Amino acid sequence: MVPEACVANIISFTSPADIFSSSAVSSVFRLAGDSDFVWEKFLPSEYRSLISRSTDRHQSFSSKKEIYKCLCSSLLIDNARKLFKINKLSGKISYILSARDISIPSSDQASYWSWSKVSNSRFSESAELITTDRLEISGKIQTGVLSPNTRYGAYLIIKVTKRAYGLDLVPAETWVNTRNGHIVRNTAYLCCLDEKKQQMKRLLYGNREERMAMTVEVVGGGDGKRREPKSRDDGWMEIELGEFETREGEDHEVNMSLSEVKGYQLKGGIVIDGIEVRPISLS
Amino acid sequence: MSKKIILISSDGQSFEVDEAVARECGTIKNAIEDKCTDNGIPLANVTSATLAKVIEYCKKHVEAAAKASAGDKDIYGSNEDIELKTWDDDFVKVDQPLLFDIILAANYLDVPGLLDLTCQTVADMMRGKTPDEIRTIFHIKKDYTPEEEAAVREENAWAFM
Repeated sequence: MVPEACVANIISFTSPADIFSSSAVSSVFRLAGDSDFVWEKFLPSEYRSLISRSTDRHQSFSSKKEIYKCLCSSLLIDNARKLFKINKLSGKISYILSARDISIPSSDQASYWSWSKVSNSRFSESAELITTDRLEISGKIQTGVLSPNTRYGAYLIIKVTKRAYGLDLVPAETWVNTRNGHIVRNTAYLCCLDEKKQQMKRLLYGNREERMAMTVEVVGGGDGKRREPKSRDDGWMEIELGEFETREGEDHEVNMSLSEVKGYQLKGGIVIDGIEVRPISLS
Repeated sequence: MSKKIILISSDGQSFEVDEAVARECGTIKNAIEDKCTDNGIPLANVTSATLAKVIEYCKKHVEAAAKASAGDKDIYGSNEDIELKTWDDDFVKVDQPLLFDIILAANYLDVPGLLDLTCQTVADMMRGKTPDEIRTIFHIKKDYTPEEEAAVREENAWAFM
């Protein structure tokens, strides 16, 4: 009764998840759900450029729906320095910037950092910290390449090796700042704290270490809880750097950073795979 | 004195509207420019009840646009914008058959704002519903054989894995 063009218009206001599931309603829904008109709306505006910058996709596509499907399985772009992905159900964009794509001072010096292929990494190289007293990592991204009107979180993807040291003395400072000056600051430990080890330290050193940890000020999110790396599905851990929002029509740079420079102690054994920028799901 | 255009619904009722209001409909705008409006424009696909609603929408939006260009509009959503949005939200609170008739009319008459508004309303009703629920809400007949239905589900199963 309702022509295909109208059904297409209607479903284009829903989500990819709804479009996939509604194809089972009737043949008109299926036709509308396969149409280029609908999928054009869910493709990022620069999709042609993304595909041409990708290192591994050289196929031709017969429909916009096919292009969408391709973008849903991650795309390595820019000489495999970045990973681009669309969430197939929501259509939202996320990026992972590799360790080579972010700024790690002295990372080219072999006495401080070593680069190698790590298992479970999506990139050809990850950076392992040999030793440093100052750990500073930062990445940047333009909000214009992300989905508009979305709340994003930035996460440093790490692993802590068995030979790690100096990571549990003092929490690192994390912050995300955007062009309009808004800064979200927080602190997080670089590794999960072993409660037994912490108790031993208190016995041996009194409260000296806890006093050192307090030199790192907590601004904002101080709920008294220690923030530690969380496990991910891919065998790595992540440290939340902060959050920011994207707005339709706006395009500015967001800087996402972590720094542990107040501890003065030498630290090592943390492996950096990159920074992930992904939508925060509202539960 | 603005020119009046006569629109004739499929059930023979005549509606006299200002030209500016009629021009909100892309197909009527073309008819006006092609100068074939002398005896009124017959709209064979639009009933009087539906046409009345379309005209109501067009009138309101023409008035709102006039106010906006006359006044000083703030880009972050002035009171007029919010008032218009509230009006739009109330406008679509009609029973389903009429809502779908308005969609078809907006499509036929080429009124993009009205088409998007009504389609968005239906989309909001559809969100998160299963195919069975969608068929029930919108009284749609399933025209798949069991084999075809299985094939369609299979085709899109990758999205939910």
